[in-house]
Order: sequence, then C-alpha cells, then structure tokens
Amino acid sequence: MYEKAKDLAEAYVARRLSRRAFIDRMAKLGIGAAAARWALSEATTRALAADYDWQKHKGKTVTLLLNKHPYTDAMIADLDSFKKLTGMDVKYDVFPEDVYFDKVTAALSSRSTQYDAFMTGAYQTWQYGPAGWLVDMNEYIGQAAPNYNWNDVLPNLRASTAWSGVPGAPLGGAGAKQWALPWGFELNSVSYNKRVFDKLGMTPPENLPDMKDKAAKITKDVDGMYGIGVRGSRSWATIHPGYLSGFTNYGAHDFEMVDGKLKAAMNSAAGKQFTELWVAMIKQSGPRNWSTYTWYEVGNDLGAGASGMIFDADILGYFMNGGTKEAGNIAYSAFAAKPGAKQPTPNVWIWSLAMNNFSKQKEAAWYWMQWATSQEHDLFGARKMDFVNPVRQSVWDDETFRDRIAKSYPGYLEQYEASAPGSKIYFTPQPLFFNLTTEWAASLQKMVADEVPVDEGLDQLAESVNRQLASAGLR
Amino acid sequence: MTTQDMTQASVLPARRRGGRLRAALPYLLSLPSLLVTIGILIPFGTAVYYSLQRYNLAFPFTRGFIGLDNYAQFLADPAFWNTVRVSLLYTLLTVGVELLLGLAMALLLQRRTAVNNLLSVLLILPLMTAPAIAALMWKLMTNPNFGVLSYLVGLAGFTDFRWASAPSTALLTVVLVDVWVYTPFMMILLLAGLRSLPRQPFEAAELDGVPASFVFFRITLPMLTPYIITASLFRMLDAIQQFDIIYAMTQGGPGDRLMVFQVQAYLEAFTFTNIGRSAAFLMVLWAITFALSNLFIKQWLKLRERTHHAAG
Amino acid sequence: MQRSSWPWRIFKALCLTAISLFFLFPILWVLLMSFQTNADILRVPPSPFFTPTLANYKALIAGELTGAGSTLQIAYMKNILNSFVLSACSVLLSLLLGVPAAYAFARYRFRLGENIAFTLLSFRFAPPLLVLLPLLLYFQELGLYDTYIGLIWVYQLITLPLILWIVRGYFEDVSPDIEHAYRIDGHSWLRSFLKIAVPLARPGIAAAALLAFIFAWNNFVFALILGSSDVQPVTVGALAFITASGIQYGQIAAGLVLSVIPTFVLALVMQRYLVEGLSLGAVKG
Repeated sequence: MYEKAKDLAEAYVARRLSRRAFIDRMAKLGIGAAAARWALSEATTRALAADYDWQKHKGKTVTLLLNKHPYTDAMIADLDSFKKLTGMDVKYDVFPEDVYFDKVTAALSSRSTQYDAFMTGAYQTWQYGPAGWLVDMNEYIGQAAPNYNWNDVLPNLRASTAWSGVPGAPLGGAGAKQWALPWGFELNSVSYNKRVFDKLGMTPPENLPDMKDKAAKITKDVDGMYGIGVRGSRSWATIHPGYLSGFTNYGAHDFEMVDGKLKAAMNSAAGKQFTELWVAMIKQSGPRNWSTYTWYEVGNDLGAGASGMIFDADILGYFMNGGTKEAGNIAYSAFAAKPGAKQPTPNVWIWSLAMNNFSKQKEAAWYWMQWATSQEHDLFGARKMDFVNPVRQSVWDDETFRDRIAKSYPGYLEQYEASAPGSKIYFTPQPLFFNLTTEWAASLQKMVADEVPVDEGLDQLAESVNRQLASAGLR
Repeated sequence: MTTQDMTQASVLPARRRGGRLRAALPYLLSLPSLLVTIGILIPFGTAVYYSLQRYNLAFPFTRGFIGLDNYAQFLADPAFWNTVRVSLLYTLLTVGVELLLGLAMALLLQRRTAVNNLLSVLLILPLMTAPAIAALMWKLMTNPNFGVLSYLVGLAGFTDFRWASAPSTALLTVVLVDVWVYTPFMMILLLAGLRSLPRQPFEAAELDGVPASFVFFRITLPMLTPYIITASLFRMLDAIQQFDIIYAMTQGGPGDRLMVFQVQAYLEAFTFTNIGRSAAFLMVLWAITFALSNLFIKQWLKLRERTHHAAG
Repeated sequence: MQRSSWPWRIFKALCLTAISLFFLFPILWVLLMSFQTNADILRVPPSPFFTPTLANYKALIAGELTGAGSTLQIAYMKNILNSFVLSACSVLLSLLLGVPAAYAFARYRFRLGENIAFTLLSFRFAPPLLVLLPLLLYFQELGLYDTYIGLIWVYQLITLPLILWIVRGYFEDVSPDIEHAYRIDGHSWLRSFLKIAVPLARPGIAAAALLAFIFAWNNFVFALILGSSDVQPVTVGALAFITASGIQYGQIAAGLVLSVIPTFVLALVMQRYLVEGLSLGAVKG
C-alpha cells in the first residue's frame, strides 16, 4: 500500500497524473488528504534530489531574517521538506513588516554575521547592493541543481532584481548583478466591490478619467462609501503602487539621462497632466484621511465595504476577498490609466531573497535560497497557502493553482494575464530612491491639501531632487 | 561648592571614625550609578564622530571626514528650521497642557478618599499603554469610516473633521494623543507631591480665613514647585524627542507639518541610510535638550537653596 | 479644603467626570474591541453592540493565530514575559543604584556632587536613535547583542535618571532631624538609611519605581535593534498583528489589554504607597 501511494505520488510530481486523478486514486487506496500530502512531499523531496548533492551541507544550520508575511508562513509550513532534503536545520527571526527593514538595515550596517539570508524588496537592493552587503547571485545560479530552471522565473522579475549599480543604468542591463532572487510579487491593478458596481450598473474603470468619474459616482450615490482607495502616507510606499503605475502609463518618467547623468523628470508635461487628475480624484472621492493611508487602511476599507474600489496591489484585493465583510464581493480588473493606452504598465513590488555578504556559510545559505525559490516550493505555496503571486511561469500554468484561484477569486487570473506583460519596476534605479519617493509623497500631500498647485509642486520636487543628486555626486 | 562642607541639609553627626569615611560616603553612594552608566559615552562619542563625516551607507566609497559640513548645511536648509520650530512647538504645547491638566487632576484628587485613590490608579492606565500601540488605536478611532471618535465628533456637527490627516489639525491631534498618554505622568508626580506637603500652613490659613486663591498661589504652588520642575523636566525630555506617536500616526506628514527631530533623523538613518546627516541632526537635538534641561536644573537648584535657607 | 460650597463641589465632580471620560473612554473602547471580530470592529458607523468573542484572547494565549486559510505561530505570551523580565530587572537595578545616590545628593554637599548628579541625568539627553547604531556595533563585539543583560544595561538610561531625580526630591523634603536623632541613639549610618530614610521616602520611591517600570515596559526601539526575536518585548510583539493580509485590530486590542495587566496589577499593589504622601511629621516645615 505504501509503495502504491509512493508510485502515485511520483507520477503526480512527474506530471503524469492530474491533481484530481491523484487525489481520487489516493482516496481509493483509502489514503486521506494529510497522508496524501505527506506522500507528495516525500516524492517532491526525491524529485529535487535527483542528480544534485543536496546533502552536502548536512548538519549545518542557516539563520534567516524574515518579514511577517504569508510568503513566510508558506515557507515555514513547508520547511520540513527542506530539512529532510538537505539534512540541514533552519533558524529564523521573524519581525513585523512595520519594523522589518529597520532591523535589516541595522543588522547589515553593523556587518552582522548572524543572518545568512533575508527577505528584501528590489528597491532596497539599490542601497544594500552598492553598500557591499549583498552577494551577486549569478555565480550561484550557475551551479544550481539541474531542475532549478532559473529561466522559468518571469523575465521581468529577474531583470527587476538585477542591477549593475550604475545610477540610471537599466535594471537587468549590461553588467547587472543579481542582487536578489524573486520570491513572490504583486502588481498594481484595480480591485473593486462587484456588489456595488453591479448595483450602480457600472463596469470596472477603463482609464483614469473614467476612474475619477466612477469614483465620484460611488461617493455620491452610495451611503457611507467613498469611491477610490489609494495610499497617501508620507512614505515611498505611497508612490510605488497605483500612482507610479498610472504615471508611467501616461508616458512620464521619474528621471531622464542627460549626458550620462540623471536629471529629475517627474515635472514633465505628461507627469503634470497625470498628477493633476490624480490629485483631483483624491480630493473628490478619495478617503478623507488620505494622507495617513497605508497598505493596511486601503485594504481594510475595501474589505469592510467603506470604499468602492482600490488601485493598489492585486494581492491586496486578493487578501480582502477572504475573512472580511465584503468577502466574495471583490473582483479584479487590469487597469491602464491613459485613455487609449496599448496595455497596462503596473509597477511591481517583489519580495525577494538575498544573501548576506557577511555570512560565514554562503553556500549553505544558497541551498536554502535555492530550495525556497524552487518550483517545488513555489508550487506548494501557491496550491496550499497564500503564496501569491508566484514568480514562476510553470506555477501560473499549474492546473491545481489555476483551479483554486479561478474558483475563489473570479477574474483574478484574467486580471493577471492582462497586467503581466507590462509589469515590471518602472523606477530608475539609483541609491537615493527613498529620499526621492518620500519627498514625492510629502509633495503629493501638499497638493491634496491645496498648499501648493500641482505643477508648482512637481517643479519644486524636481529641483530639490536635482540638488540632492548633485550633493551625492550623482549629477 | 565647598569640599566636605556639611551644610544645613547634611547634619548627620560626625562620630566614631569620623573624617575620612564620612567624606567618602557620598561618593561611595553615588559613584556606582555613574560607573554603571558611563559606558554610554563610548557609543555617544562614536555618534559624534559620525556626525563629522560624509557617511551614507549606500555610498561606501565617499565616506570621509568633513568637519562641520553636515551642520553647516542645516543653516541654509528650510526643512531643518521647520524641524526646530515644530519640535519646540510640540514640546511647548504638550508640556504646557499636560502640566496644567495634570495639576488640575492632582488638585481634584488630593483628598484621600477611596474614590479618589481608585481613580488615581485608573487614570494611569493611558500611560501603561505603549505609545507605539496606543497611537495605532488612536489612528483607528479617528478613522473617518470606522472611528468612534470621528463618529462622535460627526454627531456634534463636525462631519468633515480630518484629525491627523489635515494640515490644520494634525499638530493638535498628535498633541491630543500625547496629552492622553502622558498627563497621568504629571498627575501622579504632582499628586504624590501635594499629599506630601506639610499641613500646618494650610491649617493656619484656614483658621485665619485666607481666601482659597491666595492659599493656592501663595502656599500650595510655591511648595509644589520642585515637583513641578522635576515632572516637567522629564516630560520635556520625552516630548522634544517624541517619535512613537508621531511616526505611528502620520510619519511626519501631512507635507512637512510634523517633521520633528527624531522622525527626520529616523528617516535619514534607517530609510535613507545617511548615517552622518542623521547623527548631526540628533546632535543638534541633543544640544537643545541639554540647554533646556540646564534651565530646569538651574531653577531647581536655586529653589532648593532658597527652601533650605528658609528651613534653616 | 473643608470650605467647599455646594456649587463648587458640583463643579469639581463635573470636572472629574469629564477628565475620567477623556482618559478612560479610549481604554474602555479598546477593551470592547478586544472582544470583537475584525469585521465587527470595522463597521460603518462604529457601534458598541456586538456578540462578544474570546477568540482574540484564545489566539494570543495559545500562541496561534488563525488567519485567512492558515495558522501562524505567534509568541505574544513570550513577549509579555520578556517585557516583564526586562522591566523588572531594570527597575530593581536602578533602585539599587539610584536610591543611595539620590540620598547622597539630597543629604550631602560634596565636591562635584552636583556635577555627578547632572551627568547622570544628562545620559538621558542623548536621543535613543543617536546611540543606537554605534551601540549595536559594540554590543556585537562584546557579545551583549541579543542578551537580557545588554538590554537591561541600556534600559538604565531610561530608568536610572528617573528614579534618581524623583527620589532625590523626596529625600530633600524629608527632614534629616529624625535620622539625626536615630543616629545619636548610637545606630550606624547604614541602619538609619535603611530603617529611617528609605521608609520615609517610600511614596517617592514607589512612584518613581512604578513610572520607571512603565517607561521601561513601553520602550520599543532598543530591544528591536539590539536583540533577536527571542528577547522582543510586547511593544514589538504587538506589531505582529499588522500583517500583509490586514491589521488584526481585535488581536491588537486584546494584546494591549494583556500587556497592561501586569503593570496595572503592580500599580494597584503599590497604590497605598503611591498616594499616601510622606508621613506626617517627616516633612520639613
């Protein structure tokens, strides 16, 4: 019986068997879901183990610095299969998201050897990389297990986490170092309350002017609900989701290269046109406490039925479709801000894994990173846990995953497929990223509070950014 | 200050072995405290050194000694002067309101009744909620959709009150939270002070039929002043270095309205990785704190001399 | 105080009611929230009527957080224990060091005395962020990183000046005559310090110790940077309920209530000393 189950599992892992057929046949053998999962994890372990010495660092312990996140939860839930595969042990320190990067910056800046690998965003690597705290993963990817299949990771994400360190040089361009491995990511699109949209006889917004009108209609017609949720706190996190996605769609850029040097360009005509509309939309039908709004408030309001739609991370809309008041009512729609635009241009946030340059057991750390970004673990997380969005094409093609999403999150896959081709990081990589975006957010706050007109505000911002670039020697 | 000069305050008898041990006693009592904590001067010195450097972690190759350049840059920087202004204003408002309110509460609770004693403990509760978490709760309570305070204020007719998110009310909102958290600190110290005052002057005043306002301003307040100074000093130290409440509620916004020293320095160090500039910022804060504290201590010592003379 | 007229008393009662409302209403609201589900908390408009649930407390105490589709391990009770160990040890150490020093500054004029007193206070002037990163470097060198001892030492910067200066004020106000008389009776200095001076200043010591405990308890940034998750206090632990999939307000509220209980119990226990004031006759006229 055990042998029989094992064979089935192996067939399944090798994709000779669909998930449904696998479970059916296991059930016929009288094996419940838990045991089936066990057999599956056994089989996965063996699949990974083929032709690669996974046991090379047996007995070692790697220590991780992690952010409290569904991705982390999924990883920890699957950790036993790593331990079994490698004979290694894993210790981890999990910190809340609010303070996570402070902890990372503190640990790395003190050249701490304590953590071997850690979670990071791509923007952070623009500081950590030049600071000399990260390892270029290219050398390790070359020696990965045969079935690692690095090219399976979405190309835009691979590029977005690679940079040469030259301010303004394109991500993933010549001489780029792979500062981090993409792990899970989010792109920006519209999540909306379908119940309300249906009641008002509306379809999801098609572009920014349309979004502005529909948001205004919701604010006017639905009691206790406002139209559009976007972030507004004085932080870089306000700029990178909806705002930059739409800004880019209007053809605007944060910087341009003039004679090989960076020059602030957010005050271009396109930038002003977009920002003008954006600010007007927030004033008209955004949250009243907009300037304190972060990821959490934007999500809460959608989930609790206080906002009609959000232009933010797709996975924020995903999370709000479960365990909230409006659970089951949230629908998704790709969004191109500019009327007549060819396709959406969502900026992305990529939770990635990076290796501490001061780690004393880099190869062991790589073993963990390789496993955590492997197809097997990605599949486990995507099928069984909230490890969305997965970064591997093969996982997006996985039937089980697609079935699960299509069933519980109608429209999510369609949204994803329409958004994905144009999804990448649209910021110009440079180490003053956080200075620039924080000031940008402060500037938007002043515009929304009518303390400065939009065009003047953007001009002042560009001027200030140029000054900072100059004093840092980047201009 | 004269050596080993026992003044009125130190009338302990010189007996037995007398001299040397007696002279050493105050040092034996006070130096352990100093020995345990003096180590902090080492990281402090390192930070001073950082403040004299061009030191951004993301630009390791440009690190170098630049003397007072970080400081010099502040002089022409309007953002810096905004920070000085906001920090001082915040300190003045919070310490002022908390002192007046705390004093009023202490006076109201002065009589030793069971209700007053219970209330005085209950009223410390806000102080026991960590500011970082209390601010989160306040943020929810002032949320325009789900916030109970927004709702109540709306019932009173202010349907569009925007609390911490509007430039005109942001400072008042964070001051309100600070007052809520820290007034109990003032209250408890002043209450303990009030209840420790000698009774004779009050009894005498009552017999003579002296008006209450006269008793308060001429007897209560002067005798309470040392307690007021100590309590205000510690409140001032925390207020000028406020971080938790402001960062949790507005991150320094809207615009630059609440960019106080520690919020600015936090951004510089942890978000912008500009260690040199952050350290210089904080050194200025340290200097301001030092100067203000000196004022308080001077007053305190002066007062102490006076009372001791009076007592003597 | 005895001369209160009726309107005056009513006015005072009204003031006390308003003040209590201002300070206690948010606490009461948080307490209510701690028995609600997140969906109940996030209602438009907010309402005090709901079906109470113990789920938040159960999750915190069991250390398991059931979110959307998965179960998370949390260590909130461990965080509370850490907070308690850190705060209690810090205050005890500060009392041990600070009370004798406070006594010395109050009773004796000695060379450099005021300078030492001011220096001790001045350690409090340095903004925490200023010394934080250098401290981290030295802590790693010295092996103090991620240890209770290292944190308790840093906490002395918060607790010691507070205890020192508050207690000093009380010693100043206690008349030395009683000690004087006691020592003339032939008792040693140490005995008079422990039997006379300290008990007389007890309300001050109690108030200072309680406040120092609270300030240590509420500290956030030192433990965050100078320790791994093993030594994190509640202030950091409570942030774990802010997750990417939403803020668990009910759990934060329950966490806040749980985190206040130890301090509140301490305050109740010390209440007698706290509010009694200096004993009659001990005070200088």
